[in-house]
Amino acid sequence: MESYRIARGRGAGAIFALFAFAVAAPAIAALQNTKHTPAAAKTASLSDEYIVKAIGSRSAPITMEVFSDYQCPSCGGLYEQTLKPLIADYVASGKVYLVHRDFPLPIHKYGYEAARWVNAAAVVGKYPEVEAALYDNQASWSADGNIAKYVASAIPGDFKHVEKLMESCPIETAPGGVTPASYSQAGKTAHGCPFDYSIEKDKALGNTVPVSATPTFRFTYKGRAYGPMSGVVSWPIMKQFLDQLLRQ
Amino acid sequence: MSEPSNSKTGRILVVIGRLALAAVFLFAAYAKLKPQTPEPWSVDSIKTSLSMFAMQVDSYQMLSSESADFVAHSLPFFELALGLWILSGIWLRISSVASTLLLGGFFAIMVRTYAKGLEINCGCFGPGEHLGPKTLIRDGSLLALSIAVAIGAYLLARRKTNPPEPAASPIGFERAR
Repeated sequence: MESYRIARGRGAGAIFALFAFAVAAPAIAALQNTKHTPAAAKTASLSDEYIVKAIGSRSAPITMEVFSDYQCPSCGGLYEQTLKPLIADYVASGKVYLVHRDFPLPIHKYGYEAARWVNAAAVVGKYPEVEAALYDNQASWSADGNIAKYVASAIPGDFKHVEKLMESCPIETAPGGVTPASYSQAGKTAHGCPFDYSIEKDKALGNTVPVSATPTFRFTYKGRAYGPMSGVVSWPIMKQFLDQLLRQ
Repeated sequence: MSEPSNSKTGRILVVIGRLALAAVFLFAAYAKLKPQTPEPWSVDSIKTSLSMFAMQVDSYQMLSSESADFVAHSLPFFELALGLWILSGIWLRISSVASTLLLGGFFAIMVRTYAKGLEINCGCFGPGEHLGPKTLIRDGSLLALSIAVAIGAYLLARRKTNPPEPAASPIGFERAR
């Protein structure tokens, strides 16, 4: 009788183990699949995924958001005069988390296209390099629209990958900073450019700030928002403001 | 002797203009000094507001960093003092000239900035206000008001020191003869 009970108990245990395996196996397989998602599958889902363009630690006490257009001269001025020392000093030391928000303006012919290239570079983790290259050579590519040349020189090792990502973003679908006609509110594009979703999301956020000109920036510290402010501010003056915030 | 009606109207208009100018300066100072986020007033909040205002002054790209910093840390207190002075009505001729000079300076800087195509915040009444035609019209109107108050204050003062001669009466005429 006891051996029968043991046998019955063992049988029930085996059935339970089989059931548990049947339930867990597909879940484990799914988890393993997500760990090893091929790059192609990942890029296919980019059209509804927001691409973060940021430098620094997310846990930095101050977050600075900059709404800018890569072709806008003042944005270039802010980057060269102020953001470069900011990145080298306060971002590098973990005091500031610098977030870029795309806000291409209709008056700039190649602003939207440049934003797409930077978003594509961000996907491969090369956003800072490409942003620096575009601002450093703003006058050149603004004249002839040859953005790819400077992206290639900034990230020679990853350029092929970025170029492949940009294959679905023909230039004619990014008419001078204007939302591409193919873009729909749902976040997809008829032409399939996967970066327009992030650009449009940034623009929509900018309109709530509201951004009336570029560059416009704002700061968040201890959950409080400071700004927005527009124009080029020299590094010593911005540094003084950041120090004042950190002293609070 | 009763005051002539046009002098009385002029006096009332000058008082209204004076109060409006004082309110503008006091509000401008308040907007620059007040905490820029929902937090209580403190020395730190004022320092933060002033360093934010320094960024706005600097964005005009007219001054060195040191000068922009000095202007940003002194202008709100000067506006506060000027607002109180105009409100008090003491030496109105001088205070209204001071306000005209200050507003004239602001207006000239804003016109220059707009003409240069700089897309910046005005910084006139706190952050977030874009410098454009609307702000130029507003500041131009304030300058006109300040000029009007200054002229009014001078005219009233002149009338006080040189009161108009009373109209000759037939009796007076007879006496003179």
